[in-house]
Amino acid sequence: QDKPTLKFAAVFGDTDIRADAIRNLQEALSSEFTLEPHFGATLFKQGTELVALQRGNLETGIVAPQDIAKQLPEWSVLTAAYLFRDADHLKTFFASEPGKEMTKMAEDKLGIRIIAPVYFGTRQVNLKPEKEIKTPADMAGIKLRMPGGDAWQFLGSALGANPTPMAYSEVYTGLQTGAIDGQDNPLPNDYNMKFYEVTSQIVLTSHLIGYDLFAVSKKTWDSLTPEQQATLEAEVNKAVDWSTQRHLEEEAKLADFFKEQGLKVYKPDVEAFRQYAQQKYLESDFARDWPEGMLDKINAL
Amino acid sequence: MSLFSPFAICLASITVLAVLGLPIGYAMIGGSILYLLVQGQDLAIAAEQLLQGLRGSFVLLAIPLFILSAELMNVGSLSNRLLDFCNALVGRFRGGLGHVNVVQSVIFAGMSGSAIADAAGVGRLIIGMMTRDGRYSRSYAGAITAASAVVGPIIPPSIPMVLFALVSDASIGYLFLGGAVPGLLMAAMLMAINSVVAHRKGFPVEDPVVLRRLPMITVRAFPALMMPVILLGGIYGGVATPTEAAAIAAAYAFLISILLYRDVSAKDAYRAVLSSARSSASIGLMIGGALVFNYVVTIENIPNSLSALISGYDLSPLGFLLIVNVTLLILGCLLEGITILLVIVPIFVPTAQALGIDMVHFGVVVVVNLMIGLITPPYGLLLFVVANVARAGLWPIMRDVFPFLLALIAALAFITLVPDAVLWLPRLLGYSG
Amino acid sequence: MTMNQLRLLRWMKRRAENVAVALLATVFVSFILQILFRYVLGWPVGWTLEVSTLAWMWLVLWGAAFVVTERDEIRFDIVYSAVSRRTRRGFAIVTAMALIALLLVSLPATVDYVMFMKVEKASYIDIRLDYLFSVYVLFALAAIVRYAWLGFEAIRGRAPDLTDPSHLRDE
Ligand code: NA
Ligand code: NA
Repeated sequence: QDKPTLKFAAVFGDTDIRADAIRNLQEALSSEFTLEPHFGATLFKQGTELVALQRGNLETGIVAPQDIAKQLPEWSVLTAAYLFRDADHLKTFFASEPGKEMTKMAEDKLGIRIIAPVYFGTRQVNLKPEKEIKTPADMAGIKLRMPGGDAWQFLGSALGANPTPMAYSEVYTGLQTGAIDGQDNPLPNDYNMKFYEVTSQIVLTSHLIGYDLFAVSKKTWDSLTPEQQATLEAEVNKAVDWSTQRHLEEEAKLADFFKEQGLKVYKPDVEAFRQYAQQKYLESDFARDWPEGMLDKINAL
Repeated sequence: MSLFSPFAICLASITVLAVLGLPIGYAMIGGSILYLLVQGQDLAIAAEQLLQGLRGSFVLLAIPLFILSAELMNVGSLSNRLLDFCNALVGRFRGGLGHVNVVQSVIFAGMSGSAIADAAGVGRLIIGMMTRDGRYSRSYAGAITAASAVVGPIIPPSIPMVLFALVSDASIGYLFLGGAVPGLLMAAMLMAINSVVAHRKGFPVEDPVVLRRLPMITVRAFPALMMPVILLGGIYGGVATPTEAAAIAAAYAFLISILLYRDVSAKDAYRAVLSSARSSASIGLMIGGALVFNYVVTIENIPNSLSALISGYDLSPLGFLLIVNVTLLILGCLLEGITILLVIVPIFVPTAQALGIDMVHFGVVVVVNLMIGLITPPYGLLLFVVANVARAGLWPIMRDVFPFLLALIAALAFITLVPDAVLWLPRLLGYSG
Repeated sequence: MTMNQLRLLRWMKRRAENVAVALLATVFVSFILQILFRYVLGWPVGWTLEVSTLAWMWLVLWGAAFVVTERDEIRFDIVYSAVSRRTRRGFAIVTAMALIALLLVSLPATVDYVMFMKVEKASYIDIRLDYLFSVYVLFALAAIVRYAWLGFEAIRGRAPDLTDPSHLRDE
């Protein structure tokens, strides 16, 4: 019998840690599956992977929870600021009963099978002005670049800033020229995009645990034997754990690197940020769609 | 790749449809649908890639805006004022109007990202000036107009560089800066050739403009001359991203033509916008077709296979660049620049990155190369345009364009061999690559 | 065709052009507003980008469907412009039939995809994507009709127009 071919699509580039993890996965699966990775959003544009999976044009891929929330508003709870405490909490949630409830919902309503959350770093605020940031009030008037789309822009205002959409590739020049005052990304992104060259400080707000989901088209999933499903699930989890570990190591190293580069790297009053943000979210339209009690269940884990 | 592989069938059908005269955008969409059909894939992927590609690639927005600004500059008296100014500057030298032609293109280049708009717009005026009273041959006037229009998209702003940024993720701002020095170098070489030909053939000089009229002429052309300053100042002074600068350029052209010079009627303005909409749509559809075909190329893993093939030859970065140059120069004789940029160039990008070639350098080399392709026969779009505008035969124009072509290729060789010629200015302004 | 039909056709053509002009104006104006909001008022907004990209997407497909003429098309015309009128008519018939067949074959799946996209919305202006994407179906139908017409004309003995390069504005 032929090995099933699994096309894989992701936004992250060829040199990303996650691309290494996927290549490891490709190797580990090679006796049972042919995994064909396409990195850098070359096959499907960013944000269109979910529909590609749903329509069976893509077998496996990395989907952002924000994209799931576009079709399944209940999921917007999983994109809120200050929801998960760290990568461990994220993993624990998706393995828990409430986590399974959420992935089951995506499977039934969207037709995608979610295997695991893929951690890619904790988003921190990175600013050009030297002004010290302690509380959300200090962020007032700061033009903070956030990805496009109203959910992301809302996140920016939940930090107390003035959110500005701008293409990722223009952020460096935007910072350099002062078109924006800052941006928020995990530390490895700040390093890869050389943002540290044009900014003066990193405020460790840890406002969002960045993660995507390793998902399989339901059509594909159902066509696999239970053994194949088990193998795929186990190997994906292994690859994802490896990638998470590497990211955590990288983040620890980078904080020191940025200090050496002369940037101020410090923790603000995170509790003040958390309260401000959670309040903003609860008052917003987003929270209307959140499943009853989900926030408390996540907090309790 | 077998002769009857789905990819080969796709490629062959696109080629056949295009050669038989189907517009290139339609040919790429059609051939890609055939591929999906043969592969048993979802036929809606063609629509999906085209729609999501146009919606999701926001750098593409610079294209209709740069087209609009070029079009608005070509209605009204803006071009005339510009030519007066260039004439006052360099008309007094032997072959004066040839120099005027080049200098005008350099200034126009700083306002527009389009070579065709230069040749078909301002080019029409200056060809008329040169051939009046038979002082220059129609073919020479056409040839130097075509050759000088080539620098348009090399000096910033530039539509092809926007497209290169799209396929490579290089920064548009630094690509623009990278083109400035090579563009000026090319213009200088064109003027040198014009000098040599002018002395040999005894071309006329223009009556020197008396010095006291110079301030007046400058004032009349001043708002137009300010446009490059506003544009580049905007981009590098932090007021706007390069895409927003395209909108500012259009707004500025609109303001000075309609409000300041007041020689554009509402009807003219409407026509200019309609004509821009039309061009944007025909280019946009070709880009759309390329986006669809790109899906086929990606799923077939063509860039990676080519990368693997090239790395098997153990090429040096320089060797690779030379191969790319020769390939593109040959393709430029046969294919249209945007097609090459969107379909062929992405195949080279991963290898260039793997070899550690700077993307800004690579982008400028590629764009210079493709712009030279606009004047290489048999398929040189600018040659067709000036043949049409100058009402001269294609053969005499090709003959007269030849020395200019050699000069431009020499400039290309120079910037390929000396990356600093490209990267010096971007680095001066903060580029860290 | 009767005079009235011809007049109606011309009227429709002009209205289609009005739409294209409005779309390009929308791209332009929303960009200018974006700049004003961001740099002058210091109050960045997100909807401008969404409106301008969607207007551009519509401009391309609407324009290609109803506004771009044969003379404006970008084609590889080395061979095409060198052959006799009779051969060119043959070319036109072959390419028209091929394109019509391919577009027709893909039409059901395309309609299905466009309808599927009702699950998503443009995030600021709150319009469902199936409405926004329906312009592709319009484009495909218009292309089928246009090439059926061109093919029919070629069969009846009229050679198709050549591209006029001085009309092109492509670099
Ligand atoms: Na010129
Ligand atoms: Na230019």
